[in-house]
Amino acid sequence: MKRFLSAMILLSSIIIAQEYHVNKSEDNLVKFISDAPLENFEGVTNYIDGYMYLQSLDDLTDNQIYFEVDLTTLDTGIGLRNRHMRDNYLETNKYRFAFFQGKIGKLEKVLEDEYSAEVKGTMFIHGVTNEITINGSIRKIDSGFFIETEFPISLVDYNIDIPQLMFMKIDEVMQLQLKFYLESITQEEE
Amino acid sequence: MKKFYWNIVFLITLSTSAQVNWERERGEVQLPVELFHSTYAVNLPTAETIGSRELEIEISHRFIPTIKSGSKDFWGLDGPVINRLALSYGITSSTQISLGRSNLYDNYELSIKQKLYENDNELFPFMLTFNGGTAWNSDHPVIESSDSKAFQFFAQLVFNTMYDKKLGLGVVPSYLHNSHPACKENQYSFTLGTYLQFYLSEVFSIVWEYNPTVTGWRDYHNPMSFGLEIETGGHFFKIFLSNSTDLNQTQFLSGADKSFDDGDLRLGFMITRLLFL
Repeated sequence: MKRFLSAMILLSSIIIAQEYHVNKSEDNLVKFISDAPLENFEGVTNYIDGYMYLQSLDDLTDNQIYFEVDLTTLDTGIGLRNRHMRDNYLETNKYRFAFFQGKIGKLEKVLEDEYSAEVKGTMFIHGVTNEITINGSIRKIDSGFFIETEFPISLVDYNIDIPQLMFMKIDEVMQLQLKFYLESITQEEE
Repeated sequence: MKKFYWNIVFLITLSTSAQVNWERERGEVQLPVELFHSTYAVNLPTAETIGSRELEIEISHRFIPTIKSGSKDFWGLDGPVINRLALSYGITSSTQISLGRSNLYDNYELSIKQKLYENDNELFPFMLTFNGGTAWNSDHPVIESSDSKAFQFFAQLVFNTMYDKKLGLGVVPSYLHNSHPACKENQYSFTLGTYLQFYLSEVFSIVWEYNPTVTGWRDYHNPMSFGLEIETGGHFFKIFLSNSTDLNQTQFLSGADKSFDDGDLRLGFMITRLLFL
């Protein structure tokens, strides 16, 4: 009996799914684009972190995907604008991270190593959570995966208030671009 | 009992197999100490500098007729005016250079502002900055523009602190060399400026500034000013009442011509715009 249970425990750890972490040494990029008339600007950071957890690309049962962005690191190129963004709009002293937690719902092979994915989950920004669906691409690379996605974020949905004063030109709907690398960590630890 | 124990282990193993090992590793990012919003209070500088490769354009006016002139001079807005146009550039995130010109004696001012020390502390955040430079009176009624007396120098130490991100205090000891170019004897001035700024909202704040001369030459009165600051995106709009009409630092530090107590106040404004190169 004991031997059987031990075998079961061993087995359960063998069929453990693969876990991939954001490879922070890679060229990851998070960018938002505000495309208001007369004044468009971008904010960028490489402070993205998180994980993906799945059996394999063929078996999507029990998969998870999570990523977070440290909003204090967003740089729009102008110090004062960064300060306004942090203090007045994103309120990063209260809500330092924006994060997304979800599951890959659909996966479609588009190229040899590339899949288009539909990920459903919860986005948390500025103390507000919203259920959203993100479409992106997952490319299989040697060390893990390369994820690329672009989707709109409406500031109203996240209770981000932009005063409509003179010269304040911010797009109500920001385009978010994410590019990041995931590396497998399961092999190293088992 | 043993069986029960193994069942527990089995269950735990099953449940943990879906657990992820990921943990946040990166700590908090060190943000710069940010106290006052603008690079100026009224005339005196704050400890803030503009960011690296940023350009700040400044347009300032002081209307010479006092508000006592009433509707006849439209409370001063009819002019004439003392004006200043200036450009500042951020060489690094802690060093900026500025070139300004005031129409009073066609005074050109070249200055440098350097952050010296920042104390990142919740209870007592403070910043220490140096500001100093030289000014050339290129069209003075008494002094030839080529005369060495046409040049003035100033140096300031700017101390800023802020309480609860709302109430800012600045203390600015200044030294001015050649305070009164027309005077045969070389004059100097030491002043000890103070300003307070209260941020009412993310857009509006009120500011008060006083720059008494401690020792050395001074015009008739100590300059005192108060006004409103409006902050919108990359702009600052400031509107003041002051007994001084001087704008360039070497002219302002030498004192004011009218008395604040007598209500001889003049309207003035400053507009700055930040650009990124």
